[in-house]
Amino acid sequence: MDEAELVARARAGEPAAERALYEAHVERVYRLVYRMAGDDDLARDFTQDTFVRAFEHLHEFRGDARFSTWLHPIAVSVALNGLRKVKRLRHREVELDEGLHVAAGGRAAEPDLKRRLAAAIEALPEGYRTVFLMHDVEGYTHEEIGTAVGVETGTSKAQLSRARAKLRAALADFAGEWAT
Amino acid sequence: MTTEHLDDEPLPEPLLGAARGYHQPPPVPREAMWSAITAERDRRRAARRNLRRLRWGLALAATLVLGIGIGRYGWISGATRAAGGAVAARGAPDAAYRVVTAQYLARTEALLTDFHAESRRGRLDPQFLASTRDLLTTTRLMLDSPAADDPRLGALLQDLELVLAQIAQLPQEPERGGDVDLINQGLSQRSVMSRLRAATPDAGAPTRIQGAL
Repeated sequence: MDEAELVARARAGEPAAERALYEAHVERVYRLVYRMAGDDDLARDFTQDTFVRAFEHLHEFRGDARFSTWLHPIAVSVALNGLRKVKRLRHREVELDEGLHVAAGGRAAEPDLKRRLAAAIEALPEGYRTVFLMHDVEGYTHEEIGTAVGVETGTSKAQLSRARAKLRAALADFAGEWAT
Repeated sequence: MTTEHLDDEPLPEPLLGAARGYHQPPPVPREAMWSAITAERDRRRAARRNLRRLRWGLALAATLVLGIGIGRYGWISGATRAAGGAVAARGAPDAAYRVVTAQYLARTEALLTDFHAESRRGRLDPQFLASTRDLLTTTRLMLDSPAADDPRLGALLQDLELVLAQIAQLPQEPERGGDVDLINQGLSQRSVMSRLRAATPDAGAPTRIQGAL
């Protein structure tokens, strides 16, 4: 069954079609929002909210693009809005906790690089961080990112370039290690 | 920006490898999330049903108050008029539904007639589409009401819901001729307009809604 038929059946309220759509896309949505949130509870909440909203608004999907192209902007919007709320609520505590978590988690291998990289990614502006995680870490194309984030493809490219430059600058003292 | 340089060079592999370990996702908890999604959707459906019932109840309550006034000289067929005050005890809810239904059918007929004319001229303004959405909401309320227990009216309401939903979802851009044609074809094939006119009380028995609505 192709995607258009699956969407049509889901729109008609067929539970098996809804489940099939969920199965086809949940992995990518969950991975993306987990990368953005770094927390399983938040990632679950964002993923669930994404699919609830998608199914509630499925009648608005006109089938001009792929379902994932329509779904991912919902996921990014849900995650960014959710993270802003969380940060407003516990700004200081979260920063401290994440710093400790990253430091503890990074000891297994190349602890200093991982810790410093995590801190540098955290320090990126929200737009840069989102584009960097989507492109360099999760493998989205600039076209997909542009649609999901609501920016032009050129803006996505520029933000990625600036994110990379900031990361290089933040980790400049490691440059000798990867140059060899 | 002064200290940054813009380039398209990917990060060195060791750095990229370390970045892939940033917020490394665990296995996807598919079943747990699916259960939460279905539970949340069930909860929302139930909330919407309750809201519809509440709205319908409020509308009915308001109409019943109105119906008491109407009961004396409005919306009474010859037979019930002869029965005099008995209508207040037995026929008031029926009369109330009929008043609401009559008003709804008249509005829908007017809107669909406008749609036929305006779509031919290629213009459907946002106000028209907003009215359509209002009427779609009313249609769904009607479908949840005892008015839909009548098989003929229930079937008509279902067709009207479909048509109004199609009109409400028409894109804003001018290239919607194909969609409009499909809607008009649907109206014609299912004889919606003639069934609508037949169901409108004015077309049948000598009834009137005086001083109401």
